[in-house]
Amino acid sequence: MRVHQVLSGAGPYDAVTTQAFAFRALFRAWGWDGRDVAAEIDPRVGSRIAPLRSLDAGPGDVLLIHYSAYAPKLRAVLDLPNRKLLLSHNITPARWFWDHDPQAAVVCALGRKQLPQFAAAADVVAGVSLYNAREMGSEIVIPILFDPAELGAPRGDGGGGAARAGGSASPTILFVGRLAPHKRQDAVMRAFELYRRRHAPDARLVLVGAPVNWAYDAAMRELAMQLSPGAITIESGLEREQLAERYRSAQAFLCLSEHEGFCIPLLEAFHFGVPVIARPVGGVPEVAGDAALLLGEDDGESVIAELLAIVATDGELRATLRERAAERVAAYAPEPTARALRQAVESLAR
Amino acid sequence: MKPEQALAAARAAAAKRDDELAPGMAIEPTERVSIEQLMEWAAIEPDVELMVSTRRLGAPITWFKRKLIHFMRQYLRELQSQQTRFNLNVLIRTAELEDRVARLEEAREQGARKPGAGESGADGAGGAGGADGAGESAADGAGGAGGAAAVSPAAPRTPDP
Repeated sequence: MRVHQVLSGAGPYDAVTTQAFAFRALFRAWGWDGRDVAAEIDPRVGSRIAPLRSLDAGPGDVLLIHYSAYAPKLRAVLDLPNRKLLLSHNITPARWFWDHDPQAAVVCALGRKQLPQFAAAADVVAGVSLYNAREMGSEIVIPILFDPAELGAPRGDGGGGAARAGGSASPTILFVGRLAPHKRQDAVMRAFELYRRRHAPDARLVLVGAPVNWAYDAAMRELAMQLSPGAITIESGLEREQLAERYRSAQAFLCLSEHEGFCIPLLEAFHFGVPVIARPVGGVPEVAGDAALLLGEDDGESVIAELLAIVATDGELRATLRERAAERVAAYAPEPTARALRQAVESLAR
Repeated sequence: MKPEQALAAARAAAAKRDDELAPGMAIEPTERVSIEQLMEWAAIEPDVELMVSTRRLGAPITWFKRKLIHFMRQYLRELQSQQTRFNLNVLIRTAELEDRVARLEEAREQGARKPGAGESGADGAGGAGGADGAGESAADGAGGAGGAAAVSPAAPRTPDP
């Protein structure tokens, strides 16, 4: 069988491109041929993704369209006679970008508007989470292919650092996700600062993620300097081992995103046994299950600061969360995801 | 502590605190853009600092891109002026239409409140007509606004480098 993957855009660190590479590895293992193309390609991706114009689909070939952003060039793909599987990776609502990245806002607004056309033209529609799938009236889920082995092993003590008692090492709070308005790193910083003032003056916050643009990066760094001078680190472009090290040294993972289609970092934190505190938005409750402490709608930075203190010091709580986290990682193991993918693609084969 | 108890414990602990952070920068979604905000956005001002290369060791490429903008500044400023002229004119028309619709609706409501149901509709229409007249004057205003917006193309032309 020949399966071609068509992406709206391809970048060196984005989840969709990583997913496409992982899918391609599976296709090769199954003896399937095909090509991966994208409408927009970041030069750092190299030759692993070809330009959309090089797509050369034969009559019986299947097209797997990863939809994650507005891409007018992709419309031509809809006219091809091939059977199509549309996989929606979710698009952030534009309202989060108008003030900070107008270009991204336009892409998001148009992308969400165009999505129904793509869904209507596809033979099978799926989402990376049920939340995503239901946005398009589908119940088919092909989750993000998450292979914890690629990140390396958790710490010897079971991961996530030990509970902090008395004068132990300074606690580190972590968030991993694009430095973008809807990820609300500003709120993470404020909650962290309150926690630091009340409970742990030596605490550190590590934010890992590429910025949406330089101006937003500068604004977040300035906020970090104003709130907690020297206590907040903002990083991006980490190698896999460096990222793993950030998880290993974290006492808690704090996610205050206002929109998440899936949120892979949750699974990464679970893998490393790091207790997770998160807002239950989008696909988060589905991915986190009972393994994360999900905030209520009215829980502000004061409650979050107290929750961080509890998580950092309560050994029993950390142990229970770690056990549940292991179950969540197992639920998203590569094998069931690969099965769901294969089933969806094979249903299209003539 | 069980995970199910943690949130309640945190809420109880937070309730005893009175050391909130002073309000500061907070990211808010832009649900409905005000006409004032649109006015601000309409006059486009792309920041040359945002023109960067994303490649590793891309500093020379960034330098080249910015030089290119500099060399093309005469053309780019013309482009900027034309786009801003269009944006502002459309915006002014939109604002006037909003205003006109509001006045029409107000006049219609006033007409509907007058005694004599059969007549009131006609009165309302008359009122609307009056408002329409006001709308005409607003349209005149559009002409004036058009003139004001015509300031954009008259922006000083960049001399040849």
